[in-house]
Amino acid sequence: MTCKEHAALAGRLVVGIVLVYAGASKAAGPAEEVAYIISAYDVIPRDFTLPAAALMPWIELFVGWALILGFQTRLAAAAAGAIFLAFLGAVGSTVLRGITLPNCGCFGDSLHLTAGQAFVMDLCMSGLCWLAWRESSSPASLDRWTQRGL
Amino acid sequence: MTAPLVRRLAAFALVAALSAGSMLVARGARKPFSPAAPQYRQKGPANAKILIVEFSDFECPACRYAVKPLHELLALYEGKVRFVFKHFPLRMHRWAPAAAIAAECAGRQGRFWEYHDRLYDRQEEWVNEKAESFLVAYARTFKLDMNAWQACRADPALPTLLKSELTDGANAWVGSTPTFFINGKRFVGAKQLGERGTTFIEKELEK
Repeated sequence: MTCKEHAALAGRLVVGIVLVYAGASKAAGPAEEVAYIISAYDVIPRDFTLPAAALMPWIELFVGWALILGFQTRLAAAAAGAIFLAFLGAVGSTVLRGITLPNCGCFGDSLHLTAGQAFVMDLCMSGLCWLAWRESSSPASLDRWTQRGL
Repeated sequence: MTAPLVRRLAAFALVAALSAGSMLVARGARKPFSPAAPQYRQKGPANAKILIVEFSDFECPACRYAVKPLHELLALYEGKVRFVFKHFPLRMHRWAPAAAIAAECAGRQGRFWEYHDRLYDRQEEWVNEKAESFLVAYARTFKLDMNAWQACRADPALPTLLKSELTDGANAWVGSTPTFFINGKRFVGAKQLGERGTTFIEKELEK
């Protein structure tokens, strides 16, 4: 494996694990708790907070597992990048608008990050998504298996 | 079907199965919680069609903001709602357990709700190093028997009671305060209670 391939593999595994942990943490609690945090961001209409809270863990789990296993890796990396950029925008906008979040809600009730910590994490994750996305062929992946067989 | 397509479908199925499995494992076995609380922390008829259980923390600002919409809701459905207050002092709130115990002891003298309202009304006043002197001052305001109130605060059963209510909250997956359960349906925070609580109660009353 080349150095770039190593970086892409590491990037996709780290982002995948973080997304699976975030999705599972949110799924562990009730959707109303997640909706409560989402409404604190004040970035989407209130009527959509509960559906968004119910859907978000599913998206994070699916994209996370897709990255870990290397299924549609570039698409999954792009989706993960979009997720983290959206989080980055949401957290940044609360800072600019002077909204104090009870916690970032990134990991449900299992791990509470401040807005600053969440911003740095989202920035790092976005960078790792880019590393995973730029590599067209990912080693140790389902993509390789679906293309070439065992 | 060609072999790559079959493999692609199998890969999709594997990712979907792992996602669903993670969801099921994360949710685990949800435990039932007890809505029980001493009589002095309950309002409304015992046979009311609607039961509202609140998990709250006296030091939490969001709980203070929820007092007004909650009072409005209880006034709107007077006689149709049973309300139960349960303590859920959050770990990060240093003075909340002492306030909860002070309110319990006011409750034992029949003044729980007055003490409860005072703690929320003046939250910004007492949540600091001088909390103890304010808790005593509020007890004096309500003309409580101070000897009995102080003796009550030293009762070792009260921390146990708080612990058991925290366990009830944990069983109910309470992560934020205030959390309300209206006939078992969860509403987190004043916004959810205000925006969806009335509609839900109307539906429940129609049943």
